[in-house]
Amino acid sequence: MSQSESHHASNPPTTDKALVKVTNLVKHFPKRGGIFNQVIAKVHAVNDVSFEIRKGETLGVVGESGCGKSTLGKAIIRLHDPTSGSVIFDGVDITHLSRAQLRPIRRQMQMIFQDPNSSLNPRMTVEAALREVIRLHKIVSETEMRSYIDSLLTKVGLRIDDRGKYPHEFSGGQKQRVGIARALAVKPQFIIADEPVSALDVSIQAQVLNLLMDLKNELQLTLLFVSHDLKVIDHFCDRMLVMYLGNVVEEMPCQDIHATAKHPYTKALLASNPITDPDQRGELVVLEGEVPSPYSPPAGCPFVTRCPIATDRCQTENPPLEDHGDGHRVACWEV
Amino acid sequence: MIQRFTSFLQTREMRKLRSNKAAMIALVAIATYVLLAVAIMCGAITRDACDTVVGANKLPGFFAKGSPEQRYEIATAKILKMTQTALTQDDPAEALKEIKLGQIRISDQPVENIQAIVDAANRIKDELNKSDDLDADPAMLPKLIELEATVAQLHAPMNGWDRTRHNASLLLGTDIQGRSILLRGLYSVKIAIQIGLVTATFSVILGALLGAAAGYFGGWVDHVVVWIYTTFSSIPNLVLLVVIAYAFTGFDLEERLLAIFGVPADSPSSLRGTIGKLFGGLDVKNSLLPVYLAFGATFWIGTCRVIRGETLKLKEMEYIHAARTAGFSSFHILLRHIIPNTAHLILINFSLLLIGAIKSEVILSFLGLGVKGQPSWGIMIRDAGNNGDVVSGFFWEIGTATVLMFVLVLAFNILSDALQDAFDPKHV
Repeated sequence: MSQSESHHASNPPTTDKALVKVTNLVKHFPKRGGIFNQVIAKVHAVNDVSFEIRKGETLGVVGESGCGKSTLGKAIIRLHDPTSGSVIFDGVDITHLSRAQLRPIRRQMQMIFQDPNSSLNPRMTVEAALREVIRLHKIVSETEMRSYIDSLLTKVGLRIDDRGKYPHEFSGGQKQRVGIARALAVKPQFIIADEPVSALDVSIQAQVLNLLMDLKNELQLTLLFVSHDLKVIDHFCDRMLVMYLGNVVEEMPCQDIHATAKHPYTKALLASNPITDPDQRGELVVLEGEVPSPYSPPAGCPFVTRCPIATDRCQTENPPLEDHGDGHRVACWEV
Repeated sequence: MIQRFTSFLQTREMRKLRSNKAAMIALVAIATYVLLAVAIMCGAITRDACDTVVGANKLPGFFAKGSPEQRYEIATAKILKMTQTALTQDDPAEALKEIKLGQIRISDQPVENIQAIVDAANRIKDELNKSDDLDADPAMLPKLIELEATVAQLHAPMNGWDRTRHNASLLLGTDIQGRSILLRGLYSVKIAIQIGLVTATFSVILGALLGAAAGYFGGWVDHVVVWIYTTFSSIPNLVLLVVIAYAFTGFDLEERLLAIFGVPADSPSSLRGTIGKLFGGLDVKNSLLPVYLAFGATFWIGTCRVIRGETLKLKEMEYIHAARTAGFSSFHILLRHIIPNTAHLILINFSLLLIGAIKSEVILSFLGLGVKGQPSWGIMIRDAGNNGDVVSGFFWEIGTATVLMFVLVLAFNILSDALQDAFDPKHV
């Protein structure tokens, strides 16, 4: 889908404080097959997504597995090359930069990964892993290296003598802390946290989230926080995007989301969260059926196959994200 | 460095490996072989020593006497004939001094005495020759002992180191040419270890680099590498080895190089000498180069395939993504993050390739295409088999070669099994 074909009125209200501006981002994964190894199908992982992240803000991205939220994060940091659309970081269009041109920008944007067990090289000590990145970007001189690494470890709540340990000597939460230290080592402005706590024990989740929150305030970081857990997003973020099948279906501030959510999918997500207070329980929306295959998404609204309020129009026309005031945008014909 | 090594020994995999008794015994055996090979490379056994005739043909091992027929052969074979020939020379005294059979020298007596001993020996020989069947005639036994004693008078007495050396080299008997089987068998250890190490090292490095590059970069790099290795592996391994080894028979690298540099064959010898020195001692015909080439061309395929598969898995690991987001070059990621994490596979493949190379070397040498001009287990087995010696009970040569090879290959098999158990438990 090229930018000109896009009928979405998807340019969000521009503020001059925007650090990251994503415009009409599309990422398709080709599936090859047949005797000539030609493209026989495409996974529509991210479909025409536009939004921006203001400096110092935390934007949450929520959705069920396979909705393209991780792909979105990876496309922004250029782990995946976007099929079309653009990513502007701090005023620079980084969509088509070469590896070498990207390097200074990568110092500004870092990623925290989902699985602490696979995000650290098992053959490198913590110190070696940190030193490697610090040296690459020449953050501090060799003489200051040691004290800088110590300060990083202290900052993420590890002990200084953890420096020489290998990843297998740590617990999951500690590994995630090392991952955070590695991301912080280059003093970035912007961090993409790709489900940073979903692989952790519930008791550890809170610790790591609090650490992230403290660091964010202390270092004035801008965050893109990807999660499938609405509670975490609600607790942690300033605004959130709700994604379904590669599309953003709702964008809203994280204030009283139970009352303000408008899209039927967001409502269904909220309803699926158990609420401890019986008086506050609303009506239970149970979604029927399965998520359609991303190889052949529905022609109209992506959510049409499971939507409780779908009409004929939804079958054929994809609703644009419409502004409902206060930075609240919803993609639904019926609200 | 030492600390890293000791911490490596403490890892779960190494503890598992160390608790495997069979593997530790195998490791000791391999260490012995390697030490032996190093000692031989340092000159403990020279190539000349392996080619030196040390005694009569086909002496049995452990100084066994053999049947009367064999004893007659042994007594009359080498020394007596050599002495007789020397006596017919213009200067018999000089010629006698030249006689050398391993450590055996002709005793320092006047020529007349020697002549007398030879005559006496010949007389006993004639008497013995009257018997049709020495083995079946017990009356001839005293005569045989007399003959042996007479011939022994020709030997200069040996003592000290010479004696030990001579006895040691006869410990496992001699081959059809009277060369020491023990020395040849041990020298072959060096050949085997050398070929195994060089081939395995080369193949593992090439296979790991190509495999990692193919897996990591994908696209056309992957296509090219996969195409090369599928092509190579579609040719039967041994046939390719035979073809390459055969192509090198009669190839004289020095001559070729001289031709390439346009040095005419009749040019002054000093010029040829300089160029010869430049490529000093490149005697390709008798070197192991063709063997290395033949093995190097085919042995990397297995490693390459395994490392490529592992890389395909590793490159989706998040620490590789992390390295990419940090902005490291592909080269750095390959060398620092991917290849170290395939170390266990490299280790296992190395030990498997080592056995493979040793076994293939023996097969090629047996076929007459591998090692040339130096001993090898393959050559020893062929020599022993060619003459029907094994059937007639002379098992020393083939026995030595096969036992030495068997122990080495078995030790390596046990070790690579243990390595696989310890480092790659998911492998079936």
